[in-house]
Amino acid sequence: MRGFGDYNPIAVFVCLMSCAGIAVFTLNPVIIILSVIGAAGLWFVRMGTDNMKSHLLGAAMLVVLPLLNMLVSHKGATVFIVINDNPVTLESLVYGVFSTMMLVSVLYWFRSFSQIMTSDKILYLLGRVSPKLALVLSMTLRFIPHFSRQAKKIDNAQKVMGLYKEDNIVDSAKGKLRVFSVLVTWGLENGITTADSMTARGYGTVRRTSFSVFRFGRSDALLTAVTLLLLGGCVAGMAFGGAEFSYYPKMTGIPRDISSLIVYICYGIMTLLPTVIETEVKLRWHSLKSAI
Amino acid sequence: MMVIKNPTVRKILKFLIPALLIPLVIIIGVTLLKQKHYALVASFVALLSLLLFVAGYEKKKTGSRRMVIVAVMITLSVVGRFIPLFKPVTALTIITAVWLGGEAGFLVGAMSALISNFYFGQGPWTPFQMFAWGLIGLIAGLLSVPLKKHRLLMALYGLFSGMAYSFVMDIWTVLWYDKAFSAELYWAALLTAVPYTILYSVSNVIFLWLLAKPFGEKLERIKVKYGV
Repeated sequence: MRGFGDYNPIAVFVCLMSCAGIAVFTLNPVIIILSVIGAAGLWFVRMGTDNMKSHLLGAAMLVVLPLLNMLVSHKGATVFIVINDNPVTLESLVYGVFSTMMLVSVLYWFRSFSQIMTSDKILYLLGRVSPKLALVLSMTLRFIPHFSRQAKKIDNAQKVMGLYKEDNIVDSAKGKLRVFSVLVTWGLENGITTADSMTARGYGTVRRTSFSVFRFGRSDALLTAVTLLLLGGCVAGMAFGGAEFSYYPKMTGIPRDISSLIVYICYGIMTLLPTVIETEVKLRWHSLKSAI
Repeated sequence: MMVIKNPTVRKILKFLIPALLIPLVIIIGVTLLKQKHYALVASFVALLSLLLFVAGYEKKKTGSRRMVIVAVMITLSVVGRFIPLFKPVTALTIITAVWLGGEAGFLVGAMSALISNFYFGQGPWTPFQMFAWGLIGLIAGLLSVPLKKHRLLMALYGLFSGMAYSFVMDIWTVLWYDKAFSAELYWAALLTAVPYTILYSVSNVIFLWLLAKPFGEKLERIKVKYGV
């Protein structure tokens, strides 16, 4: 019993990237609405409705960007009003609305992505592509707290020696710069020591392997396969001209032929998958808890 | 690469990807797709170039000392991105590129973007940021001899790279929003970004002016002392 976030990072990556990827490259209102539902569903099922303030940015975008588009873009046949020889059109307003909905939905896919994909998972993914870069990444992630701790030590030492005080701005700025300079020199020297220690232990003599706690089990394989299948369905449907939509000069009707329907169904299932998995787990927990 | 173990296949791929794939993607994207999916094409090109770089880096034998020094520089620039308003990322990328070479510069730029976005938010813009910052480093590496000699030239390069970064990222913003490239939206995006562009450029110049010499001395010292 695993929530969506507990699946193998590869499965999660493939699923979220497919959902966001299809949305980024389409203008079809149906697909955009499906993307919004899926992205919002996943976020709210996982995170609940606390911290509502963080949604202000998305809400502001939804209000401001369509208006901005209407004022900047003058394409479209249905004219509302003409300002300074520039027509303001219905099409550019509708375009702005759906475009912004797409942007916001992609933002939310990536918000969930950032929330689920912690640095250890990215490290696992990167380690499969390039062990060397993964090593650089993990060293950097380790250096960040290491350096800030050392900076604190240097700072304390400098103050205790009476080299600078914090009550004088110029003195303090100069002191801080000196601390930074010391930190950089120390960091580089310390790095050399680390590197020598690595070499002494045989780094670079054999191909590097990286440890990870993630297993790629049956359910991970299933999720990945289903996602890829649905993605294939979407791409194939779109390649055959399905789900095309254009706003200018006049909006075309929403396409309803077979290939478009395939795209809608595949994409709909794909975007709902994460939410459904999450909800199922939540409900099961709930019933188990109530059975106690 | 972990997946491809056969050396000949790897060699062929290494040749094929840059020579064929990138132009192919551009040609298919521009001519064959019914709607003009420039955003799709641009994303693929950025991703392919990053993969290409990674593949090349993976294959090369870099000393562990050099790798750790690069990690240190990445750390400094990631931490520097937390400074409000003034960001030293580009300056540190350029400094690394000038003293340690273009490849190290590319790595510092690209990896700083990737890692700092753990804190600032990953998005579809991450590959573009990685690409843009990496490229600034790579080009600085090519120009390292004149840049090292003249302090003013380096400041100028910082100024231009701040502007170029903004221009490139705005192309991406417009492509993302509008699919096809529209000049009006691009101008609008550029105009709204003017304060940021100025801030980028000014902070690049300030940081390069302040940091280039001391950092150069430190890196030079490490190079002489340990033969990185």
